[in-house]
Amino acid sequence: MSDELKTFLEGLDSLARECEACKGQAASLKELEEIRVEYLGRKGKLAQNMQTLAKLPNELKPEAGRKANEVKQAITAMIDAWQDELNKAAAAASLSRFDPSMPGRKPGVGSLHPVTLAMDEICEVLVGLGFEHATGPEVENDWHNFEALNIPQEHPARDMQDTLYVSENIVLRTHTSPVQIRSMLNKKPPLAVIAPGKVYRRDSDLTHTPMFHQIEGLLVDREVSMGDLRGTLTAFVRQLFGQKTDVRFRPSFFPFTEPSAEVDISCVMCGGEGKNQDGSTCRVCKGTGWVEILGCGMVDPNVFKSVGYDPELYTGFAFGLGVERVAMLKYGIGDLRMFFENDVRFLEQFA
Amino acid sequence: MLVSFNWLREFVPFEGEAQELGDRLTMLGLELDSIEDPFESVQDIVVGHVVECEKHPEAEKLSVCKVDVGSEVLEIVCGAPNVGKGQKVPVAKVGVTMPDGLKIKKAKLRGVKSFGMICSERELGFSEDHDGIWVLPENLSVGDKLVDALNLERTVLDFDITPNRADALSILGFARETALAFDLPLTMPELNLVEAGGDAASEVKIVIDDAELCPLYQSRIIRDVATGKAPDWMRYKLLALGQRPISNIVDVTNYIMFELGQPLHSFDLDLIEGGMIRVASAEDGMKFTTLDNMERTLTAKDLLIWDGKKPVGLAGVMGGVNSEMHAGSRNVLLEAAVFRPGTIRKTARRLALPSDASYRFERGVDQVMNTFALNRAAQLMAETSGGSVVSGIAKAEPKPWRDRTHRYRHARCMKLLGLDLEPAFAKRVFELEGCKVDDSDPADWKVATPSYKLDLEREVDLYEEVGRVYGLDRIPAVLPHVSKSLEGGAVTADTEYGFVRSLKRWGMGAGLNEAINYSFVGDDDLDRLNLPGEGRVRIANPLSEDQNVMRTDIAAGLLNTLKHNLAQGNNHVRVFEVAKKFIEDRDSDTETREQLRLGVLLYGSRHAAEWPWPQEDVDYLDIKGHVEHLLEGHFKFCAPECVMVEEHPYLSPCVEVKLGDERVGVMGQVKSDIADFYHARKDVWLADMDAEKLWEMDRGHRVTFCCLPKFPPSRRDITVIGSLAIHAQQVYDAIAEIKSPLLESVEMVAEYVPEGVEDERNLSFRLTYRHASKTLKDKEVDKQHKRVVDELLKKLPIRI
Ligand SMILES: [Zn+2]
Repeated sequence: MSDELKTFLEGLDSLARECEACKGQAASLKELEEIRVEYLGRKGKLAQNMQTLAKLPNELKPEAGRKANEVKQAITAMIDAWQDELNKAAAAASLSRFDPSMPGRKPGVGSLHPVTLAMDEICEVLVGLGFEHATGPEVENDWHNFEALNIPQEHPARDMQDTLYVSENIVLRTHTSPVQIRSMLNKKPPLAVIAPGKVYRRDSDLTHTPMFHQIEGLLVDREVSMGDLRGTLTAFVRQLFGQKTDVRFRPSFFPFTEPSAEVDISCVMCGGEGKNQDGSTCRVCKGTGWVEILGCGMVDPNVFKSVGYDPELYTGFAFGLGVERVAMLKYGIGDLRMFFENDVRFLEQFA
Repeated sequence: MLVSFNWLREFVPFEGEAQELGDRLTMLGLELDSIEDPFESVQDIVVGHVVECEKHPEAEKLSVCKVDVGSEVLEIVCGAPNVGKGQKVPVAKVGVTMPDGLKIKKAKLRGVKSFGMICSERELGFSEDHDGIWVLPENLSVGDKLVDALNLERTVLDFDITPNRADALSILGFARETALAFDLPLTMPELNLVEAGGDAASEVKIVIDDAELCPLYQSRIIRDVATGKAPDWMRYKLLALGQRPISNIVDVTNYIMFELGQPLHSFDLDLIEGGMIRVASAEDGMKFTTLDNMERTLTAKDLLIWDGKKPVGLAGVMGGVNSEMHAGSRNVLLEAAVFRPGTIRKTARRLALPSDASYRFERGVDQVMNTFALNRAAQLMAETSGGSVVSGIAKAEPKPWRDRTHRYRHARCMKLLGLDLEPAFAKRVFELEGCKVDDSDPADWKVATPSYKLDLEREVDLYEEVGRVYGLDRIPAVLPHVSKSLEGGAVTADTEYGFVRSLKRWGMGAGLNEAINYSFVGDDDLDRLNLPGEGRVRIANPLSEDQNVMRTDIAAGLLNTLKHNLAQGNNHVRVFEVAKKFIEDRDSDTETREQLRLGVLLYGSRHAAEWPWPQEDVDYLDIKGHVEHLLEGHFKFCAPECVMVEEHPYLSPCVEVKLGDERVGVMGQVKSDIADFYHARKDVWLADMDAEKLWEMDRGHRVTFCCLPKFPPSRRDITVIGSLAIHAQQVYDAIAEIKSPLLESVEMVAEYVPEGVEDERNLSFRLTYRHASKTLKDKEVDKQHKRVVDELLKKLPIRI
């Protein structure tokens, strides 16, 4: 090997060693950039060496060039690695100042009233079963609220609901059932409607508020049976409270249905056992394992007569349930009065 | 309805548990509410034997007794004058709680220790008798519990009775249901009426004016009665049903009413004048004093019992003070009648005189059972009072009972119930219920229903009986095959409910909490808001004065919500409500116009959490922002026009919100004197939007897609310096009037009031220019912008 070449190659090696010795000297990216320029810049140390290469005899140039390239790559890799380290250190330093536990900038959170939530859920299930929405006035006349529903003036059934009167003939509707009447007067059968809304009673204590919400359902067609009613309500209640919910039909009385029934479901609190896990009596079902959830029945022929439907031709079923009751069961709300106090700490819990 | 378990078993040999009976009857439509021990409060009282009784050495009126209570002999100091050696007495030992809640403790009376108490009848709730201690029958065993020794009823079932079940208002009625449920025989009490001669019918003549009001009235006469205590067995049975025994005569009538369901009334025969009883209406305005010594003003719709000269009883409701039995009465005129239910109900309701008797009359009593009830009562009265029953009955029955016959089509019944039962099952049910069945036409029976099943009025009521007895809970559940037309079926979104739901979703999304207030408030609440007094829908019988009128403005409820929250220390209130307001409307069939409103109320800090949000309170721009968010963001309507309103009942400033020519609501600040009442210490901002109008506009509104711009915009800012009197809207309007073809939009970017300047402000706007089909050059934009600025300066007294 010629001495010229040897000297050139040794020069390159020492350049590489020299650069390697700079390790750790750059404390910042700026200083590292200075090192990069010093060695790899246009007028840097490697470039100076390359001027020597140009003076070498042509036959030596390929080997010298190869070596020079190797050294350039080695130095580049070295500096890149240092840059990586510096970057990592900078990121780590920045992370060490990051406090993940600082409070966030929360947008205001809105909420829907639990009655709205329960009502929506109930309606959604019923609409899914094929019922359509209907509405009616909250201030009603006696005929729609009572007479047409087979509750004549002197009947003791009027005692079932304590009524708030506007005048002798005008009442705050005591149930959503008058919407049945308005719907049937509007439309010929078949029809399947639900009517959710506010209702009013002259009653205020721990378990009653003078205003509350009901949902009424009505289906009229030829040959509707009590079996259909059971099927519909069983499906409904199971969608609402879970597939394992047991349903019980008890004979009862409502003037606008015959036969009439109360529907109990197995208690959602204790699973129908009547007892809590610790053996104490369940508060919700008072130990019976059953919770009354809705009233229902086959539309009374007198109701059909008052809307001009032929009771020999048509049959139908109707049902009604209290929305607050469902909300109480679903959310475990114990005090009915909370629904209408509108304490925002209460309201914010529902969405 | 309380049902004594043992009394029931005198009629029907039911051997099971009370709970089993209650559960079964519940599934037959007689809902068990609870099972109670009527004598629970005296269950720890024991029978004692007074083995020694001596005067207290220090007190003349006290006795010191040694009382054997079986397990021990107690020393008890007793103050009763009638205590004496050898008596059997009820004893409350130390530790026992008396019915009035008093707990018996060791005591020392004038130096003598006392370990318990010898009780009077009144102390144990058995009578009003408190002249002395209760001396028990001698045959009782010492140490036994009093309840066992006297063989008292320990099980009373309490049922909730629906208004249709007039038949279930007696022990007999429950016995019938029990017999039906468990297939048991029914035994009626034996009648041993001894008639002593004479002729009641000739002594008292019965006259009924209107057969509809009184189909049957009959009476017996019992002479030479001695009024006094009823026998123990009768008193204990009444006590078990929570009835306080009064006298042998009154107790018998009560006993029969609870046993057979027929209310009765006893007149003092010697106070009945003219030898007659007449059933006739009252006269409007006439006065009558009932036996509770209250003077009642009557109407022509009230039914009275008269003698030959005067009214003596308010039919079915209460007797008169002028003819009632009293301590010295000797002769009884015993009434058993049937009255028109509606008439009795009306009178009892109007006079607020509900009683066990009127309760039964207004649901209907069994006209056929009436005679048996009368005879059994007369027998018991004679037996318990030593009197004798005059032969015969004074009676008028202008409208005798006829069994009602209904058709029954089994196939139709099965279709309605969704069952497939043999006709024999239905027939058996009817027969068990006392009906007579004629099934000669197998498809169309004739069923005659008995006098005690008043709820069987129509064919469908027979269906109910079949379903009820079979068990509604056993009907197979199927999903209906509804031949409902799919055509014209409204989807939820198109209904009022759907619209309200979307409004509510908006409110939640906007960070508001949904409130639901009562629809009624007090007149005071509306007056406070300066709302007009006319047009209010008032409640005639409100629960309280603060709930006596339907709200004519949604704010009335929302402000109550604010007040409640402030009282609870919630100082950040952002609520909305979708509800109706109510205005009187004589043209409506409900005399009311109901309007759906959306109310929003903002109060206190703008942001919930204190950090990192800046601490700022809500102002006009917050309420306006919500309204704009609703109209532009949610409904995609155009930007509303907001116009100051000079006068508003409770808002100042008040701004009307308009979309085109339509007024869709108002917003503003609740006047501070009003806000003060609700304890608001900061500004209250409120919006009241016409939800019905919004719904109407929303239905007519279709969203159409606009192509996204293909070329970039150029933006130029200008700052307008002008008087505070120049509203931002004027600047927007002026720029819009210039109609620059390239100007796409104008947005305000800053408001700035330089320090020391009082009557001017700087408003900065950003103008965006864009061409639909090319990229604008700077020069083109500058030219356009200069034109806009120049024109603007001409239009408004401003500097740029
Ligand atoms: Zn439970």
